[in-house]
Amino acid sequence: MNDVNAGFSAERMVFQEWVANQIAPHVAEGEWQALLDQVDRLRADSQPHRLARVFTAIPRNLKSVDKDLRITLAEADKRTGQLPLVVTDWPLVRLIRVWVLMNIPALEETAYVSLIERLFKYGEMEELAALYAALPVYDFPSAWRLRCTEGIRSNMAPVRQAIMVNNHYPSQFLDEGAWNQLVLKAFFTDEDIPHIIGLKQRNNARLAEALVDYAYELHAAKRTINPMLWILVAPFVDERAYRLMEQIILKSQQLHERKAIAYAFQMSSYRPATDFMTGNSELTDLLDTADTPWVGWPEQTN
Amino acid sequence: MCNYNERDRASMGQRVALELDLVKGFRFFDPHIHMVSRTTDDYQAMADAGVVAVIEPAFWVGQPRTGIDTFRDYYSSLIGWERFRASQFGIKHFCTIGLNSREANNEALAEEVMELLPFFIYKEGVVGVGEIGFDDQTAAEEKYYRLQLELAKEAGLPVQVHTPHRDKTKGTSRSMDIALEHGLDPGMVIIDHNTEETVKEVLDKGFWAAFTIYPFTKMGNERMVEIVKQYGPERILVNSAADWGISDPLAVPKTAALMVKSGLPKATIEQVCYQNAVAAFSQSGQLDEAMLNEKTSIDQGKKFAGNSVLRGGQQPRRDADSIIIS
Repeated sequence: MNDVNAGFSAERMVFQEWVANQIAPHVAEGEWQALLDQVDRLRADSQPHRLARVFTAIPRNLKSVDKDLRITLAEADKRTGQLPLVVTDWPLVRLIRVWVLMNIPALEETAYVSLIERLFKYGEMEELAALYAALPVYDFPSAWRLRCTEGIRSNMAPVRQAIMVNNHYPSQFLDEGAWNQLVLKAFFTDEDIPHIIGLKQRNNARLAEALVDYAYELHAAKRTINPMLWILVAPFVDERAYRLMEQIILKSQQLHERKAIAYAFQMSSYRPATDFMTGNSELTDLLDTADTPWVGWPEQTN
Repeated sequence: MCNYNERDRASMGQRVALELDLVKGFRFFDPHIHMVSRTTDDYQAMADAGVVAVIEPAFWVGQPRTGIDTFRDYYSSLIGWERFRASQFGIKHFCTIGLNSREANNEALAEEVMELLPFFIYKEGVVGVGEIGFDDQTAAEEKYYRLQLELAKEAGLPVQVHTPHRDKTKGTSRSMDIALEHGLDPGMVIIDHNTEETVKEVLDKGFWAAFTIYPFTKMGNERMVEIVKQYGPERILVNSAADWGISDPLAVPKTAALMVKSGLPKATIEQVCYQNAVAAFSQSGQLDEAMLNEKTSIDQGKKFAGNSVLRGGQQPRRDADSIIIS
């Protein structure tokens, strides 16, 4: 048999082993050993049916794993090579599945992509969440753009969240249209907006325009507007945005909504907005960002 | 399935007012219901009535499928979207996967489906092979029934057997004989849609006997009460098989309420409306009592599933008694 580690960079090996070490303490020794054996075989021979069987059967085979156990790995994003992985409050089984996917040996692009696409095609809800959470660790990163866009359309919240929140892939690889759909959909579905990676870096005028339209729609329907919306609109405040924002900051009973608009006015280069803040000095208190979702936004780099 | 002919009111027995208060605090498990055909109102009503878990067997969708992809997408929806939809109402959703008897008659397609099944039966939440068995009792139906029994045996999964509407008694005996011939433990086989005519043989042979409470065409629940009185609660399961026809997703809680009214002990009612289903299908290793006891976390993400059942920010429960929709 060839060296089963062939095709993995040294950094990747170190990272894989590190992830394995985080998983091992939560799995009974015998079950863990059996999984390691399976993964070794997978590294040597990644036949589609072998991968599918290992990947699908993880919860079936690891009976010792506490199904409710959620795991957060502070160091996971320090990975070198490809994109960092952010493991925040994942079911352990998801992490194990992503780790298994990291062990697929080097293949040529078509074979590699079709191997993983097959798992997507037959995936149940948790499998799909793991497959999308693994976008940053797949080989041939640019090959997953359409897949990522497709996943954002999912109606299954855990699947959608695995892409939208704490995932480095979308902001690095989606074009502007697809990125804007991700952000808009995240607002529509009340996702954890501040944890969308790349929110600041990928912010753009077209997105801001669509967000303002959405804010008008919500306002007309008397529904709540997520204050993070105004943070994204801030650099692009124009006459139309300003009209609604002014109304809300004067009338809203919700502190965060008013704070977000004050902050956006302050950050804006639109003259009436900055004038509004200087003319209403009693609103200065609203600029305190402590306990708001956008605390630290000016320093944020992605 | 559904008959629209007017029935003489008198032939439908005495009308009893719906009193689900009689079963307040009960937990129900409907081990046969086709939720893909049901609305969110049904999910809500089921959750309110105490249904905590369901099994959705793969079945015929009301007209024949014409290609393998629609089978795959259907199976995918049972392990994906439908499971998620149920979770939004705090209901645990399991399924059984199989090629139903009617569509076994399209042999070219049936062959392709057989190749597909192994990709689905090992998935999380798949608690059996089903619903399979006979409809017209053709040679093709028998062939694919046998092949799927072998598949279930190899996977160590329970089997959910649909028994035919026509020539039912013979079809039921034949389904059991074939299962035994393939070496299946009758304790791993749930024979569904029983009647007064089939129950004795099913129980005597050691199989689980499931009863479908379905208006007009299958069992009525007054008859169900009599059967439980006569045979006791051992190995008897009650389900609704609610689908796209005129059927009742509350059939299990309603039958339990009637059982309470009829003076059956609570333990008996719980056994046929919950416990036996857990016992039969937990043999899959995919479900257990602890799983059903844990409170389904309708977490933030699930609760505001946006472009799905519950739209962002909207109150999860609509007011059915108001003409205002907001």
